[in-house]
Amino acid sequence: MTTSTLAPVAAGTRASERTLAVALAAFLGLGLLFMAGFSPAIALHNAAHDFRHTQNFPCH
Amino acid sequence: MIIRLLSAALAAGFLAAVVVTGLELTLTSPLIAAAERYETQETHQADRGLPIVLAHAGHDHAAPDAAPEWQPGEGLPRMAFTALATLVGAVGYALLLGAVMLACGREPTPQRALAFAVAGFASVALAPGLGLPPELPGSEAAPLAARQAWWVMTVASTGMGLYLIAIRRSLIAILGGLVLIVAPHVTGAPLPPEGESALPAALAAQFAARSLAIGFVFWALIGLGFGWAWQVFGRKPAQGTADV
Repeated sequence: MTTSTLAPVAAGTRASERTLAVALAAFLGLGLLFMAGFSPAIALHNAAHDFRHTQNFPCH
Repeated sequence: MIIRLLSAALAAGFLAAVVVTGLELTLTSPLIAAAERYETQETHQADRGLPIVLAHAGHDHAAPDAAPEWQPGEGLPRMAFTALATLVGAVGYALLLGAVMLACGREPTPQRALAFAVAGFASVALAPGLGLPPELPGSEAAPLAARQAWWVMTVASTGMGLYLIAIRRSLIAILGGLVLIVAPHVTGAPLPPEGESALPAALAAQFAARSLAIGFVFWALIGLGFGWAWQVFGRKPAQGTADV
C-alpha cells in the first residue's frame, strides 16, 4: 500500500474534526453491527437470522 | 468531513447490501431453510422428553409452553428482513471501514479502501471462521456467550495484528502482529459438545463455503463503494472551499 496520507492537517480544527468523524463513525458502526449481529432481543435475532448465519456471526 | 464520511458509508453500504442480499437469498437462505427442517425434527423429538425452550425461538415451533416470539413471516417478509439486516450490517461495516481509514490517516480511494476491506474480511470473516466455521441452524455448538466472546476477541486481535503488520511495519510491530493474529487460534475456539447432528455434512460444508464467498463479495463491494463514494462526495463541495 502506498503511504499517501490525508492532506496535511494545518489547523487544529481540522484534526479535531477528523477525530470527531472517526469517533462518530466508529460509534454508529459498532451500534449498527451490534443490532444486526449480536443483539440478544429475540425479535431482532429472528429478523436478522439469515443475515447472521450467512455472515458468520455466532447465532443461537 | 463528518457528512462526507456518513454519506459515503451509507452509499457503500447500500450498494453492497443490494448485491449481497441477492446472493444471500439465492445461495444461503435455501440452505438455511433446508437445515431448519432437520432442526425442527430434532426439536420435536427433544420436546417429548424435556421441556427445553431454546433461545432460538424462530424455529421452536413445537414448544408448547413458550410464549410465541415475534418472527418475520415465511416468504417475502423474511426476505425483506434479511435485506434490512444486510443493509444495517453493511452500513455498519462501511462506517467502521471509514473510521479506520481516517484514523490511520489514509485518504480513501477505491483501491486503498479495497485493501482495507480485504483486511476487514480477513479479520471479521476468515479469522473467526477458522475456529467457528459458518454454521447452519441445528448444528452442534458451544454456548452462545462463549462463542460471541471468542468471535469478538479474534476479530479485535486479528484487526490489530493486521494494522501492526501493514501500517506500523517495524520489526517489533510485525512480530507483535503475528502473535496477535495467531494467539486466538492457539487459545482455541469454544468447542461444540460431543454429539451427532442430524444435519448432513455436505449441506454444512456447502454453506460454509458459500458464506465465506459471500462475505468476500460483501467486503469487496463495501471497500470499492466506500472509496468511490468518498471521492464523489468530496468533489462537489471542494469547488469553492478546501475539503477534508
